[in-house]
This record gives sequence, C-alpha cells and structure tokens, in this order.
Amino acid sequence: MLNGQRILRTISIIGLFGVLGFSPGFASEPPPPGETGSVSVRMYQLEGSLPSDDPNSSQWDSVPGSEFKLAPQVHWPPRIQDVTVNSVKVKGVHNGQELAILVEYEDPTEDAADAAALEFMVGDKPAHFAHGQEMLQVEGGPVNIWFWKKENGKAVDMSAKGFKTLQAQPKQDVQAKGAWQNGIWKVVFSRSLKTDDTQDVQIEPGEWRSVAFAFWDGAIVDGLVKEKGGQKAVSSWWYIRAEPSRDNSIFGWVILGLALAAAFELVIVRKLRKGQSV
Amino acid sequence: MKGPIISGAIILAGVFIFLKFLLPLFTAPLPASLIYLYLALALSGIMIFGTMSAPSLEALMGPIFRFLSGQGQSGMGQVARVAVLVMFPLLVGWQTYTRLAPSDLPPAENRTIHPAPPGEFVGLSNPYPKTPENIMMGKGLYAAYCSPCHGANFDGKGPAAPGFNPPPANFSDPGTIAQLQEAYLFWRIKKGGVGLPVEGMPWKSAMPRWEVELPEEFIWKIIMGEYDGAHQSPRTWEEEE
Ligand code: HEC
Repeated sequence: MLNGQRILRTISIIGLFGVLGFSPGFASEPPPPGETGSVSVRMYQLEGSLPSDDPNSSQWDSVPGSEFKLAPQVHWPPRIQDVTVNSVKVKGVHNGQELAILVEYEDPTEDAADAAALEFMVGDKPAHFAHGQEMLQVEGGPVNIWFWKKENGKAVDMSAKGFKTLQAQPKQDVQAKGAWQNGIWKVVFSRSLKTDDTQDVQIEPGEWRSVAFAFWDGAIVDGLVKEKGGQKAVSSWWYIRAEPSRDNSIFGWVILGLALAAAFELVIVRKLRKGQSV
Repeated sequence: MKGPIISGAIILAGVFIFLKFLLPLFTAPLPASLIYLYLALALSGIMIFGTMSAPSLEALMGPIFRFLSGQGQSGMGQVARVAVLVMFPLLVGWQTYTRLAPSDLPPAENRTIHPAPPGEFVGLSNPYPKTPENIMMGKGLYAAYCSPCHGANFDGKGPAAPGFNPPPANFSDPGTIAQLQEAYLFWRIKKGGVGLPVEGMPWKSAMPRWEVELPEEFIWKIIMGEYDGAHQSPRTWEEEE
C-alpha cells in the first residue's frame, strides 16, 4: 500500500515546483504582430570597431534590420500630400561604447537637398513625436534630432521642444555618412552611447528608447525643392534598444534548475521503489 | 484503475478549452497567466478530491507512482518513463531560462482609446441642423482635411495612414464613432492627439489639433459629414445610463 502522508508531501512539492518553474514561462505573451511592419530597432552588440563611416561596409550585411512605413507629413502645416520615401530599413549596432544606425531607403535621384533625420525622446517626460509639440494635459519633454543633409555631408545634433524651437545644439556629438547608389540612399549615423550633454538622448544597453524617422527628397521640381522643412516623409514613435551584453549567470541558474529537478526525481523514484517493493 | 486520472485530465482540458476558446467569444480574452492560475486551482481541487480517502488515493496516484518507479514495466512503458524523467529537468531548465532571459519585446502599451473628455465638452450638442447642404459641406471639408489619414471611404486607410502608430481611426468600424456622442468627437477633433489625457498617450497620436486651423462651425459640419459618410449614427444622451 502507499503511504498517504508521504504522498501528500510529494504532491505539494510537485505543485510548488510547478508553480515556481512553469508559471512565468506561460505568463509571458508575445505582442500582436504589427500589421504594417516592425515595431522596434534592435542595435546588435559587436566586438571591436563599428562600420560607422561606411554605409556599404560588408559588416552591415550580417545585421538583421527592421522596416518602417512612412507617411507624407499631413499632421501639421505646411503639409505635403505626396512624398518620395515610403518606407525605410533600419539596422543598428553598438560595441558598448559607440553606436551606429544605418537607414536605407529608395530615392531615384541624388540631390544636394536630400536629407534624413532620426528623432529621439530625451529624459523621462514623454515628448510628442512632432518636434515635442506642446500637449494640453500632459507635461512633455524635449526631443533630440540627428539631422543629415547631403550638401553638408555631415550630421547636425539638434534639439526641439515644440514647433519652431528646433535648434542646433551648442555641443555637437553626432556623425553621419551617406552614400547614394542606384536609387538607394544609405546613411549611417553614429555617436557614443552616452554623452555628457543633457540635451542628448542617452542610450543605456537593455533600455528602450523612442525613435522616429524623417526623410526629404531634395529633387528640384519646377524650379523648387520638392520636400523641405515640414514637407517630408515621417513616422511616429517606434522603439529602439541597444542589446544588453549577455549575462552568463543565467546559464548557471539554468544548470542549477536542471540539477535540482534531476535530484528531485531521483529522490522520488528511490522512495517509491522502497515504498512499493514490500 | 485509470478512471480518476482520465477524468481528471478531461476536467483540466475542459477548463482550459473553456477559458481559452469559449470565454473569449463573450468577453476579452484572459491573459495566459490567469488561465494558468485557474488551471493550477483546478488541478489542486482534483488532487484534494482524489486524496481524500485511501482507496481514491490509490486509484489516483497508484498508476502514476508505479509508472514513475518503473516496476514491472517493459518495452514502451520503460521508454515512456525514461522520456518523462528526462523531459522534466529539461522543462525546468527551459522555464528557468525563459524566466531570466532579458525580454526582447518592447514595453507593452496600454493605451486607452476612448478616455473621458474634459468637463467643458460634456453635453454639447451640434448647433447646426442636419440639412443636406450642411452634410455636403462637412463631407467636402472631410475630403480636404481628414481623408489623407482617415481615408476617402472613412475606413482609416488614407494614403498617410501607414506611417502612424496608433493608426488613424476607422470610422466605419462600429467600435469607433458609433460608440461616441457628437460632443466627444467635437473634443477630439478640436484638441487632437495632443489634447488626450496621459492614459491616451498623446505623444504618439498623429491626430491634428484642428482648433488652430478650422473654425468651430467647420468642425460641427465635418462631424455630420463623417457620420453620414461612414453610415453610422452618434450615440445620443438617451442611450446613456
Ligand atoms: C495626420 C493624420 C490625421 C488627420 C489628417 C486626421 N486625423 Fe483624426 N486621427 C488620427 C489618428 C492617428 C487617430 C487615432 C489616435 C487618436 O485617437 O488620437 C485619430 C483619431 C480621430 C478621432 C477619434 C476617434 C475615436 O474613436 O476616438 C476622430 C473623431 C478623428 N480622428 C477625426 C478627424 C477629423 C474630423 C479629421 C479632419 C478634420 C481628422 N481626424 C484628421 C490621425 C489623423
């Protein structure tokens, strides 16, 4: 016969194990997939130097990218109803010190006024994606904009908090390099993950930040630049994160869990054998 | 002999199917963690019931224990037993990993789509009569100002819609403006995304603040055109409890 008390004890141990071991795994649910593309950019961690000044570096080939749809800027005047750039591929890498973000998009012609920008929320207060424009019931924060233009060939590190407040920062921390080929622009932005400038977004590996994109086709149409200023292709906020460095202590815990479970089984089976072989 | 184990398994499967598939037909789906909790409760209920008397205890646990101890087993029985004994530690290891591994998912978003409007907008009614001329004018203004995002067919699929998250509202969906009063739309159109309270995540909304560009008269007429074009009617005061 089976010993009732011992069995009850066994059952409660199994139950405890079940709750501890299994519930968190079942509890984490993936978010519904985005209908129109990615929801975040992942900056992969690399060892050594980054392909920061070469948009065509073969180092980029092995980095998986995200893709985001863009809209003509119809949120605020001056609006534009039709833009050249309709989507962008984004890749990111970092090495614990520096980061590099590659944007890649179609633009049939190379023009002096072609431009690309990344926008980030800065600090703890949420900022509206349209240049941190004023919100009525919520106190918002500023945005940091990294603006690259073909004719200058470099990036400008800018700040805004509300419409008509966009300004180049006194302290410039961002670099950029663009290359156009066969109707495709590739622009790499790079910076150190952290700066000592409070106007800048600070990238902490493992933490999520908000990012938005904007692109201008500077082609000359009827004697005028097609897209400039507020007339551009835009996105609203998406997420970006520098991959945290791998924490190897996790594998220690996994092995401990495995060993405990195996030891637990061994004890149970031995007890059962003793109890049953009368 | 196997009776109680099988009926226990059937009860658990039934509870799972009910929570996971039947309940969502009537209300919002339960989170997996809650389903798990209910299953664990059901399991402990079965255990308590099965261990109440010595015979029922033997009936419930006897086969399980004989299976685990491996006595008197051969062939397929042995293979199954070894498989279970190997799988269990692996599962615990896997669960430990998924629990500790840093999540790759961006923060979950709990955006309230229809937060409460500010007091000054409650109870307003459209001061313009629903004449064909007014509706026509509203539809014309809608085509000019709203259709790039909300779509010429009022379905939220305008040419500018794909770039924005959250997407522009789909007015032909019975879950949007048909649930709302005209006064609520008046607030949303006037103040736009930036007018939302914190639970509406105003920093993400591309909905323009139209009060800076359109007079109130236009907004009231656009509301008329919007309901007419989307084949919906506003919720009225009488329907409020
Ligand atoms: C730039 C794109 C854009 C334009 C142009 C635009 N909207 Fe919106 N609208 C949105 C987005 C995005 C949302 C969803 C987010 C939100 O509720 O703020 C929205 C939400 C709304 C809602 C709330 C619906 C609900 O179920 O709560 C109403 C009403 C609305 N828009 C009316 C209008 C009207 C009327 C116009 C034209 C005068 C207009 N919108 C123009 C983007 C736009």
